[in-house]
Amino acid sequence: MDRRSFLKAAAAASLLGPSLAREALAAKDQPLVAMAEGKDNAAVTRKAVNAVGGMKRFVKAGDVVVVKPNIGWDRSTEFAANTHPQVVRALVEECLAAGAKKVKVFDHTCNDSRRCYVNSGIEGALKGIRNVECKHIEPERFRKVALNGHFLKEWELYDEALSANVFINVPIAKHHGLTKLSLGLKNVMGIMGGNRGYIHRSIDVALADVNAHMKSHLTVIDATRILTAHGPQGGSMADVKVLNKVIASADIVAADAFASTLFGLKPADIPIIVAAHQRGLGEMNLARIKVVRV
Amino acid sequence: MRESRWCGSDDMRPTSARISQIAFLALFLFLFIQTEYRGHDEINAAVNAFFRADPLVAASFLLAAKSWTWLLVPALLMAAATLLLGRFFCGWICPMGTVLDLLTPKKRSRRPIAALKGNLKYWLLVPILSAALFNLNLAGLLDPMAILLRGLTFFLYPLLGLSARVGWVGLYRAFGERRDAITPAYDLLHTYLLPFRETIYPLASFSALILLTIIVLENFEERNWCRNLCPLGTLLGWLGRFSPFRRFPAGLCNDCGKCRELCPTTFDRDLLVREECILCMECRERCPKDRISFRFAIRRGGAGPLLPERRVLLGGMATGLLLAIPARFRMPEKEIRLLRPPGVRNENEFLDKCVRCGECMKVCLKSALYPAAWQAGIGGIYTPLVVPRLGYCEYNCTLCGQVCPTGAIPRLPVDAKQHEVIGKAAFDKNHCLPFARKINCIVCEEHCPIPTKAIRSREVEILGLDGKPGKVKEPYVVEDICNGCGICENVCPLETKAGIEVFGVKDRTPTSGGTGDTAQNGPGLGY
Repeated sequence: MDRRSFLKAAAAASLLGPSLAREALAAKDQPLVAMAEGKDNAAVTRKAVNAVGGMKRFVKAGDVVVVKPNIGWDRSTEFAANTHPQVVRALVEECLAAGAKKVKVFDHTCNDSRRCYVNSGIEGALKGIRNVECKHIEPERFRKVALNGHFLKEWELYDEALSANVFINVPIAKHHGLTKLSLGLKNVMGIMGGNRGYIHRSIDVALADVNAHMKSHLTVIDATRILTAHGPQGGSMADVKVLNKVIASADIVAADAFASTLFGLKPADIPIIVAAHQRGLGEMNLARIKVVRV
Repeated sequence: MRESRWCGSDDMRPTSARISQIAFLALFLFLFIQTEYRGHDEINAAVNAFFRADPLVAASFLLAAKSWTWLLVPALLMAAATLLLGRFFCGWICPMGTVLDLLTPKKRSRRPIAALKGNLKYWLLVPILSAALFNLNLAGLLDPMAILLRGLTFFLYPLLGLSARVGWVGLYRAFGERRDAITPAYDLLHTYLLPFRETIYPLASFSALILLTIIVLENFEERNWCRNLCPLGTLLGWLGRFSPFRRFPAGLCNDCGKCRELCPTTFDRDLLVREECILCMECRERCPKDRISFRFAIRRGGAGPLLPERRVLLGGMATGLLLAIPARFRMPEKEIRLLRPPGVRNENEFLDKCVRCGECMKVCLKSALYPAAWQAGIGGIYTPLVVPRLGYCEYNCTLCGQVCPTGAIPRLPVDAKQHEVIGKAAFDKNHCLPFARKINCIVCEEHCPIPTKAIRSREVEILGLDGKPGKVKEPYVVEDICNGCGICENVCPLETKAGIEVFGVKDRTPTSGGTGDTAQNGPGLGY
């Protein structure tokens, strides 16, 4: 080996080496996505969480936990516009069982928040459980946060989400007119204040900005029934498909990527998933995701 | 200078009339607070009960709308009871009368205002009724309960809510999350007493001023408003003249005359003015010689002429006519944004029926309804208008129709209401982002509640403003199924002027049902 070829090889190794090493590491430490299936929504939710390590992996004794479902719309449960109350309740109970000091459940709704909380069934499902708060958003709690993102330099985020020890993201899997699908990455919009419609002009980049700041420690996607068209609100049972599935993952991008297949789509079809993956927020390549079906 | 009946030094005994007054005022306030969404689609009891039992509201409705509604049966019963018993409503029930009794000064240094005496009250009542006949419903403007309710709804209640909110937010600014320690107490207040949302209304100060004027008048004479001005009281007093339920003796006794001191109304030349007597029974309770009684007796006399003088009657009727005709004038451009609550299909019929009580605005879930100042013509003052940029009509909500005391806003089942047309949305392509700036948005499409979407979008190839080709979703309105709820205009992310707006339409035929759009709330899943 002459000097020239050695230098070439060394340069190549130093350039490729880290990425090769990352590939090797990733193969060993593939993100795990669990998909549970069954008729009992609460039981399915527990199975999915247990398959990614159980709630104790995420929640430690004394933690304040935020469980953030989608309660955005004044639609009753069967219309698949909001997260199923049984899924939310099962998660809240798991958090408490894991030793959470307090579990807070809220969403920044699009319709009247009272009607959304009532008709989603979530407020009723959580009534009377000790150490659980299901409160309406209080505008004074939004705090301007420096995101230094690619589209959003700063934005108002909800302080209860920011200050919680654990943030559990519980979207419903549904169609969305602009972003094609609304899953975990989109559900984080519920902690945003201000003129949220503003971000629609560059929504995939903006949501990557917000998700980069607000990490979801656990993402549980409610696909007990999904909304296949006229999302994110729906309103017609013709657009609802019952799947009896719940997906869980510690990797929000992997969870969303896998959930996109439920709609017959590929992760690359969803710009938000692509943007979040490119930002390094998680894995979107299905070949590199380990899926456990339970 | 007589002492107030509430502060009688020698007799603090709560009489039946006092207890009744307090109970009805409490009921009025309770129903006022109840007139709000509290987790149920139906409101069982609302403050509209008081207006449904209001003969003035009924009289002007019947004269103006020239039609009948069963909602007003209680008002007829009240009129019948007044024919039998006299003007007891004012001394036993009327919440405004009770407020005046509670606020009346203990000692009065001012003399009664002479200008208010005489026929002034008929100069108010007769034009109101005659204007109603010519399709101008003014009753609500001077109805005491409407004045009280508007003062509460537009001024006092928002003021209470805002003060509480400022205090609560101030605690957060000072203590941060440590405020959570007293959250349960605040939640209790917020749930059961305070308004959910602090809405600021136009005409708030004007409404408060009218109420304040009535209270200030109390400085000159006890029950000044009630005996000299109130058109409801005047109407009840006129009906009460026929009542066989009388006070004995009809006048003052020669050796005493304490009644004049006790009575909140008038003894004219030592004789009780029957149409003013509110049957508070104070004279009977506190007669030093136990001489006074109230009992049924068929006897003529004791009252003045049946009708006010002819010139008052004719003059009043002419005034009503003169008021009614120009009040209907409205510049045509006002119609552009004349958006009425859901179910109102005909503007003229609505103006005939609406009491201007303000209940629909109080109950409106998303603060979509505001009182018109001049937008609906002079005759439309205080009628409700949808202002979409401030609030929109919530798809599954039917509360305004439930609390309207006269059915001016019809009470509709939710699926019927969802098809009622408030107006139609239209894009302003000079502002709407995909058209004006060639960038994506469609927040309006996302929020459109129609299950098959009255706002849709199509992806089109565009040349961006930077000269680069690209694709953008251009929205459009499907007019046939748009009900004009206004959520699109409400959520449009443009600042100030929206890129989509709802405009009034004359033809408000409900949108057709269509297939599969049955997005009322279903039975739920067991919660």
